[in-house]
Amino acid sequence: MEVFAFSLFNGILYGMLLFMLASGLTLIFSMMGVLNFAHASFFMLGAYLAYQISAYVGFWPGLVVAPLIVGVIGAAVERWGLRPVHKFGHVAELLFTFGLAFVIEEVVQLIWGKVPMPYDIPASMNFAAFSWQGLDYSAYRLFMLVISVAIFAALFLFIAKTRIGLIIQAALTQPNIVSALGHDVPRIFMWTFGFGCALAGLAGVIGGNVLGTEPAMAITLGPIVFVVIVIGGLGSLWGALVAALFIGIVDNLAISYDLSFYPLFAVFGVERDVTGIMQDLVRLTTASIAPVLPYFLLVLILIVRPRGLFGTRDV
Amino acid sequence: MGKLKLAVGVAGALAVGVASLSALAAENIRIGLIEPLSGPIAAIGSEALDNFNHAADRVNARGGVLGGRKLEIIGLDNAMKAEKTTEQLKKAVDMGLSYVIQGVGSNHALNIIKFLDKHNKRNPGKEIVFLNHSAVTTAFTNELCSFWHFRFDANVDMKVAALVTQISRDPGVEKLYLLNQNYAYGKSFQAAANKLLKERATDVELVGDELIVPFGKVLDFTPYIAKIKASGADTVLTGNWGPDLHRFVKGAVDSGLGATFYTVYGGIPSSIGGYGDAGKKVNLKQVTEMHENQDGLPEDLRDYMKSYIEAYESTWYPDRYRWLIEQLAAAIDAAGTADPIPVAGKLEGMTFPGPLGEVKMRADDHQMQMPLVVSTLTSDVPKHLIYKGKDFGIGFKTDGVVERADTTLPTSCQMDRPG
Repeated sequence: MEVFAFSLFNGILYGMLLFMLASGLTLIFSMMGVLNFAHASFFMLGAYLAYQISAYVGFWPGLVVAPLIVGVIGAAVERWGLRPVHKFGHVAELLFTFGLAFVIEEVVQLIWGKVPMPYDIPASMNFAAFSWQGLDYSAYRLFMLVISVAIFAALFLFIAKTRIGLIIQAALTQPNIVSALGHDVPRIFMWTFGFGCALAGLAGVIGGNVLGTEPAMAITLGPIVFVVIVIGGLGSLWGALVAALFIGIVDNLAISYDLSFYPLFAVFGVERDVTGIMQDLVRLTTASIAPVLPYFLLVLILIVRPRGLFGTRDV
Repeated sequence: MGKLKLAVGVAGALAVGVASLSALAAENIRIGLIEPLSGPIAAIGSEALDNFNHAADRVNARGGVLGGRKLEIIGLDNAMKAEKTTEQLKKAVDMGLSYVIQGVGSNHALNIIKFLDKHNKRNPGKEIVFLNHSAVTTAFTNELCSFWHFRFDANVDMKVAALVTQISRDPGVEKLYLLNQNYAYGKSFQAAANKLLKERATDVELVGDELIVPFGKVLDFTPYIAKIKASGADTVLTGNWGPDLHRFVKGAVDSGLGATFYTVYGGIPSSIGGYGDAGKKVNLKQVTEMHENQDGLPEDLRDYMKSYIEAYESTWYPDRYRWLIEQLAAAIDAAGTADPIPVAGKLEGMTFPGPLGEVKMRADDHQMQMPLVVSTLTSDVPKHLIYKGKDFGIGFKTDGVVERADTTLPTSCQMDRPG
């Protein structure tokens, strides 16, 4: 039971990190209908900027300034990049962000080079806040949890409870009417995209020092954030939260309990010390495939419920 | 009139002959270096290009080979994609190269070995020899061995043998946990460790043996670290590299795991940047053919290291690259020609005064036999690792040298030789 509770706790910590990574992506999708393939690249940009700023003036200014810079870059990208291709439909937007991802990655590598940056968690929070099962949990990990929860709460209130949130939502489905009511729809989209990118930047500032600030970070993180929002339901904030937590907890349980798949094969009379193609299958355990379980789940969800757990429209 | 024409003709022919002879003498011996020079891991490929350029420059500065011909390294970018490696090999063939160097990624090395086995059989007189600087899959010098392939790095089994030998000498190791990446390299590391631990470190208890999904798929190492903690392990033996190692080490330091890490690639400059602050707190060991704080390094090597840091503002790290170029140059001189088959013949069995003692290219399987050194990452050393002008504040301190006799392992190679 202790192991279960411990895994659950670690799963929640990891899940909230995933949620934070995916929050900007789900925001942009739910508000604008744009699937931003460059999301992980904005995350990368945020991490590198945060590293650079923290090298001069420390972590806290970076926490504010880096997301702002990424947000402004995001808004500029929307204004001069995404808006002109908007009229060609969602495929054009998708391809634009797909290309943008490579551009950002290459620019980051041009500026900062191709080796990992020593971006560290701030010394002020680099102490063990508490221990459980012999493992220390730094104050920084709790800080990450708090920020993730705060992002969720702020987004939820912003979208559902504020006037501007309602206008943005309306602008997605009824742009002409919103426009006729005197709102500048393109401008709303520009700031929404910028805000979503700023969230990616914020995740970069907070996650970059834990996950590593290195050239391959966008490539390795890109897929998992898509899995989170597709399982949760494209554009659903609740869905992203539930999916992220679910993935985090499943991952931890699969690794801690490390169940063997052998009993499944034993039913068919396969010996444990079989050789040949079956050899690797018999030795499979849940721990050895834990990080790919979300992708299985993704395929399963797309077959059974294409709109995801909480989605309102199909993928 | 007839006589004059003939004389002019002869003189002309002679002139052309002399001209082409001198052209031949001056012609560079071009060596292709197939590595990722673009893309996310271009850092490794472009650094290898710097390393080999410097090694070739040193040979050229003292007069080159064959009485004045220069070695020229030509970078061929494979962007870490298998199809591009093949493309660049074809380009090497078109350019008429006789030597290619590669080492980043065993899958690419295998690609090259298979390509050359076919190409060299079908195109006599246009053979290409493959000089492997870092692709460590043991099979390349066992069941997959080829006459056209020479490996200058210790293979996985040799590196594991050195690590396990040092572990058996380390009184702090009682309970050991194995964690590796689930692909060809990680699995061969795991197999070699299991075998050699039983042979060489009988009083060490193996308390865990884990494979993880490789290449940055694991974002959070907490559950693995929790398992290591629960197992009571005091030492982790891992072949991990890249983010799979950085996040593991960072997570372990952050969680106060306190275990010692025995690694293969823990000390490469890009790793040290990846750990950040955790690099100063972790007790981490690496196995290499050399490090700059090792006592008794030969004079010419110390001079070489000095010239490298002056030229590139980086610490000289992979000394095997220097041996590769030096041995190639010596083999060309010994053969009296740059033709690949006689040069390959001279490389077989060739020795070189390495940093820790003599190294030898074993003729049976073309695997370099060498002593290896296990060292600890620490700030308490005279020379810190410097990379592109940046001082990391940490360097390496020797734990122990594992002699050539202890890293020499039997081979199952049955080599097909040309002719």
